[in-house]
Amino acid sequence: MPPSQLKQLKASLRDSGVIRPQQSKKQKRENAKSGAAAQNRNQRNAALQAIRDRFNPFEIKVAPSRSKFDVTTRDRNSSAAGKSRPGVTKSLGEERRRATLLNEMHNRNKVGGLVDRRFGENDPTMTPEERAAERFARESQKKMRKESMFNLEEDDDEFQLTHMGQSLSLDQANIDDFEAEDMDGAESDDGMTRKRKRFDENDNDMEDFIDFEDGEEGENKPERKKSKAEVMKEVIAKSKFYKHERQKAKEDDDDLREELDQGLPDLFEALRGIKAPAKPEPPKQDLDTMNPERAAMLQGPDKADTEREYDQRLKQLTFDKRSKPTDRTKTAEEKAEEEAERLKKLEENRLKRMRGEQLSDEEEDNNDNDSFLQDDEESDVDDAAAFGLPAFEPRTDLGVEDEDDFIIDDDLVERRSNVSLSLDGSDMEDEELSEEDEQEDEQEDELINGMSLPTASAATAASTAVEVNPTAGGKLAFTYPCPKTHGEFLAIIKEVPEQDIPTVVQRIRALHHPRLHADNKAKLGQFAEILVEHVSYMANNSEQPSFAIMENILRHIHSMAKTHPINVATAFRARLREISNDRPLDLLPGDLAILTGVSTIFPASDHFHAVVTPAHLCLARFLGQCSSDTLSDFATGAYASTLCLQYQTVSKRYMPEFINYSLNALCNLVPSEPTQKLGFFPFRKSQESVRLAPSKKVAPRKLQFRDVSLLPSDSQAAENLKASLVLSFVSLLDHACQLWSDKSAFPEIFSPVEAVLKYVQQSCKAKIYAALQDPLQSTLDKVSSQLAQARKSRRPLLLHYHRPLAIKSAIPKFEENFNPDKHYDPDRERAEANRLKKEYKRERKGAMRELRKDASFVAREKLREKKERDAEYEKKYNRLVAEIQSEEGRAANEYEREKRARQGKR
Amino acid sequence: MPGPVDIASSKKRKSSKNAGAASKRRAVAEDDFADTLSTIQQLEAQIAESRKHYNNIATLISMLNAGGSENPELAAAVSLCRVFSRLMAAGSFKDSSRATENEKIVTAWLKERCQEYQQALVSIVREADTASQVAALTLAMRMLKERITHIPGAEDNVWSTLFRDILEAVIEAQDGSELHAEFVNKFLKEYEDVRFHTFTQIAEYAGAQRDSDILDVIISILSECDEVPAAGHVFESFFAEAETKNKKIKSVTGHKRRAQDAWLAVLRNEISQGQRKSLLRMMVRSIEPWFINPEFLLDFLTDSYNDGGATSLLALSGLFYLIQEKNLDYPQFYTKLYSLLDSDLLHSKHRSRFFRLLNTFLASTHLPAALIASFIKRLSRLALNAPPSAIVVIVPFMYNIFKSHPTCTFMMHREIRDSKKAAKIEAEGMTDPFDPNEADPMRTRAIESCVWEIESLQSHYHPNVAAIARIISEQFTKQAYNIEDFLDHTYQGMIQGELGTGERPLKKIPVVEYQIPKRIFTDRLLEEDGGVDSGPGAFVRSLWGFS
Repeated sequence: MPPSQLKQLKASLRDSGVIRPQQSKKQKRENAKSGAAAQNRNQRNAALQAIRDRFNPFEIKVAPSRSKFDVTTRDRNSSAAGKSRPGVTKSLGEERRRATLLNEMHNRNKVGGLVDRRFGENDPTMTPEERAAERFARESQKKMRKESMFNLEEDDDEFQLTHMGQSLSLDQANIDDFEAEDMDGAESDDGMTRKRKRFDENDNDMEDFIDFEDGEEGENKPERKKSKAEVMKEVIAKSKFYKHERQKAKEDDDDLREELDQGLPDLFEALRGIKAPAKPEPPKQDLDTMNPERAAMLQGPDKADTEREYDQRLKQLTFDKRSKPTDRTKTAEEKAEEEAERLKKLEENRLKRMRGEQLSDEEEDNNDNDSFLQDDEESDVDDAAAFGLPAFEPRTDLGVEDEDDFIIDDDLVERRSNVSLSLDGSDMEDEELSEEDEQEDEQEDELINGMSLPTASAATAASTAVEVNPTAGGKLAFTYPCPKTHGEFLAIIKEVPEQDIPTVVQRIRALHHPRLHADNKAKLGQFAEILVEHVSYMANNSEQPSFAIMENILRHIHSMAKTHPINVATAFRARLREISNDRPLDLLPGDLAILTGVSTIFPASDHFHAVVTPAHLCLARFLGQCSSDTLSDFATGAYASTLCLQYQTVSKRYMPEFINYSLNALCNLVPSEPTQKLGFFPFRKSQESVRLAPSKKVAPRKLQFRDVSLLPSDSQAAENLKASLVLSFVSLLDHACQLWSDKSAFPEIFSPVEAVLKYVQQSCKAKIYAALQDPLQSTLDKVSSQLAQARKSRRPLLLHYHRPLAIKSAIPKFEENFNPDKHYDPDRERAEANRLKKEYKRERKGAMRELRKDASFVAREKLREKKERDAEYEKKYNRLVAEIQSEEGRAANEYEREKRARQGKR
Repeated sequence: MPGPVDIASSKKRKSSKNAGAASKRRAVAEDDFADTLSTIQQLEAQIAESRKHYNNIATLISMLNAGGSENPELAAAVSLCRVFSRLMAAGSFKDSSRATENEKIVTAWLKERCQEYQQALVSIVREADTASQVAALTLAMRMLKERITHIPGAEDNVWSTLFRDILEAVIEAQDGSELHAEFVNKFLKEYEDVRFHTFTQIAEYAGAQRDSDILDVIISILSECDEVPAAGHVFESFFAEAETKNKKIKSVTGHKRRAQDAWLAVLRNEISQGQRKSLLRMMVRSIEPWFINPEFLLDFLTDSYNDGGATSLLALSGLFYLIQEKNLDYPQFYTKLYSLLDSDLLHSKHRSRFFRLLNTFLASTHLPAALIASFIKRLSRLALNAPPSAIVVIVPFMYNIFKSHPTCTFMMHREIRDSKKAAKIEAEGMTDPFDPNEADPMRTRAIESCVWEIESLQSHYHPNVAAIARIISEQFTKQAYNIEDFLDHTYQGMIQGELGTGERPLKKIPVVEYQIPKRIFTDRLLEEDGGVDSGPGAFVRSLWGFS
């Protein structure tokens, strides 16, 4: 059982030290003197207040001891109901309002007034002495904080109190500070000092205002004894002065010595008896005659510079890398091994791209192929778009790290000693060399065929080039501007014989080497685009395009593609776009050249490639839809088919259009039309008959690229061309059979081929086609054997061996240690927004509550004032009434009295 | 009457002059023109004044005819139209028993002139230049309207004579495309009675054999009438209001019957292949709804269906309509459908149309699995020779079918449980039991086969096609693909999808072949490789010479 209230009160009073044994008088006095009494008083008051609060049950709002219902709201545990003290908070608020709002209320519609900002003026706990001390401390602190280093007036470090400008310190002014003059101005002085106090803080110019006889007083003063500090100062100043003097002397000596040193050569020459040519007189520095200080100033900056330089060097040294052991120079085997490693990695990457896998560095990208499995729920998504049709997202890529700064492959450049070119090629060397700058430069010199990069001057470059390229002769210029359009390029090479175009290209590349100028990279990119255009232009526009030159340019493009892949790819894509928009079914020789270039410059095996995939489509579209009427159409088709197979050499992908076209072409070329259907390929008859004429003997030859555009001159040539076309298609099918031999549908693909080949063989039985028989037979044998092989190795499909998918789980996600106060919103932005909203709401509520309280306070205050006024009025009224009544009463009494008196008289 | 003769002669003179030296005498010609106009106006005014001047009608008609029907005097035609309208409104054409002999003679004379005038108009419609044709058509139709409204009892007669003449003239008119458009837009589509009588007259007209140009016109006119009145439709827009007793013109059935007759007459004609295709194309939308007895179309449709090729594909939709709406029982429908899957189907431009229908036909889950399997197998065979745009349709289509016919999924995954059989397959390989030459889809044994073709297409050259082909070897988690999304892809669209229309910056840097080949076209540096060309591009070089 707890002790009674009274006992508790007593105990707590004792504990808090309110009640304590009586103090002696002496103690009391001491306490009062040291200010401890006031402190004690404060402490006691606080303790008393605490005890009062503790023992007042109405001051504390107690939470209901138990909740009525079990609830799981988040607010239950967080509520601080047990500790809230409404009375206290209310009175606090009231007090605050009284301090602020009430003042404002009173000051409303009033202007001016005094604000007492003196320190501690409103603090009742401070004694006047304390206040003064504190003020003094603050003042001195303010003085100590020097605002400006240029404030000359304040150079007196020591702060001292003054009176009328005179120091108040007693130790140095032993004069009596009482002056008679002070006395008579006491009245005004009071105001003056106060004013001065204010101004003192800012400017001491105000001293002028005050009449003040410091000057004459100072003269009057006797020589006073120097203080210790002053003595010390003097000593220090003196020693500094001497030091400075010594230094100056030393510097002068140095200067003199230097001058002598400078004159030494002259001296020597004079000794040898040869008169030196008169040197221009150096600006005379007659330091001796000059004011030494000025000389020092003249010398100063120089010295500062050297010092700064020294500092910098020192810093650099500290930051310099420690020398480390360099990598050992690699042996030839190691180099070869490394190169093999690199090639292997590149090849691996290529295979990865071929399979449509992502390269390791971009694996975070989501694979499109999977995406269609995920959008089960989203029925509104275009199914076709999931496969990238027709708006297409490149799904695999690219990213074989390129050989860095690979510039002009020596392989590209005709050296004088081509024979000496070793087999293991240029790439490796370049790769190696790109690591070591200097060596690379040398190498490059060599690469660009001795046309030294015009580091020195164009003239030297030209001269070396002349030595190196005697074949080019004097006709070629040595510098060419980098063309910006194909037209410009044509203008440049207009005068140049065709076989020198590679030299021109090479020179342009050398002259605009990216190392020479920042813009050159962009220029060369543009140049690469122009070259792409030029290849197609060359193939289209000349009767007999020089393939050696086209090849050279294509290889140039290839080498530039390594540095400017975007430019080259864009140029190729532009060509392809032109093809697909203008002549999808009528390819020109230039287009074929471009498509050939694509197959060598870009990896045709990639699953997706920004250039190769459209090129594929262009070829397939041509093969699938073109009309084959003339022999040159068939020749174009044959070339396109060859390219198709060329594209698929590595990746071995199936092209339906190729099979269709080849079989169609064979059916159209053989001497007689097939009578029955030979397979599922759609047969399209050509408009004109291009069948082999049965009368002439044919001599098949190797197809020439110009067959694509040129029609054969006479009928015999035409027959020969037909026969060679037949042979080419047969060998194409032969190759295709080899390429696609591991396709599971090989029998389905190639049984029509077999049928057609048999038909061709049968149709060309005549003697005149003897030249065709052998290749036909061999291809047929090959196809038949492959077919048999494929049939034998065929197994039923087992596509769905994969593990069954797990059934989707519907179990909710549980949070360990769930805290209802925490927000588990995964969407950060939303969470943030919610937080802000909540805060805003809370603030708003608080503000409204405050305003309401303010309003009620104001109303209360007004009411109180009104009541006061009323009460006063009432009082006054009552007073007046009473006054009047008393007066009247007196008069009545008087009257009564009079009356009585009169009656009495009567 | 000397005046008109004068005018006529002057007109002749004028025309001859005009032919002679047009430029010189333009002013004179214009004067002449003004003269003619004023003369015509004067004549017209006189007719309106009194009956004495009725002879002016003859004058006007002769003026109208003076230039021949190629070069008519349209002002005269217009004024004549006004004159006759006025006369009809005044009742001058009415035969009344009480009329005097004289009046009767006048009426008869007027009727004769009217006939003459109409003939002239019709011949203008038939032969004149486009502007005159259109004007004459309007005038003729106006006459038709006036006659019907003001001469009681004339309606049937007018429709069967005057309108027939007009319609024939419209159909047979030279360079009549504008005229046709005018007729269709101003009359045929506006007025339901015109449409009704057009149907009637065409049914009659096309009853005889006509040549194919005229048939083209008829088909185009008929095909414009594609708003079939619904049952309970109230006919309100009439060209010529008459208190008619004819109830047929106000009944939906009447209209439909006329339309049906007209179409049948057309179909019975000898129509060319192109016309047949266009008819089949509009069959479902604008022909079949008119038919009360669609059975009548059956012959035409089955003939077309049996025709083979694109015609069959087109006939399919009409046939399907009949099957669906009229409960038609087409024997061997699926066999026929199966036979349509030939090598040209996937290359035809009607491919998407066909696949839409095929999707419907094979939607039923009650079809036998063997049949479905045959379709799947045939389609996958065709896919081996198909353009990418067709493969893109076939695979999701097959996916959907697999999904609704799980029995067929053995074609994708076939485990041989029988150990003996398994050993045999291991030794000899599996021969494809599918018989591609079997016409009956129930007997092809496709269900015992596998879709190796699609599996091969997983290595198609186009990455997207390959990705789509891969869906048959993934888990079948998706409910169904929306075939509509895959139908209308083309080479052009695919290339555009790759290349875009304008140059946009590439998203990723394209990979470049890391090794620069030693040679592309020529035999450069061949001796270094020991004379054996094995680098990239060797295949091209082995087949082609570059010199």
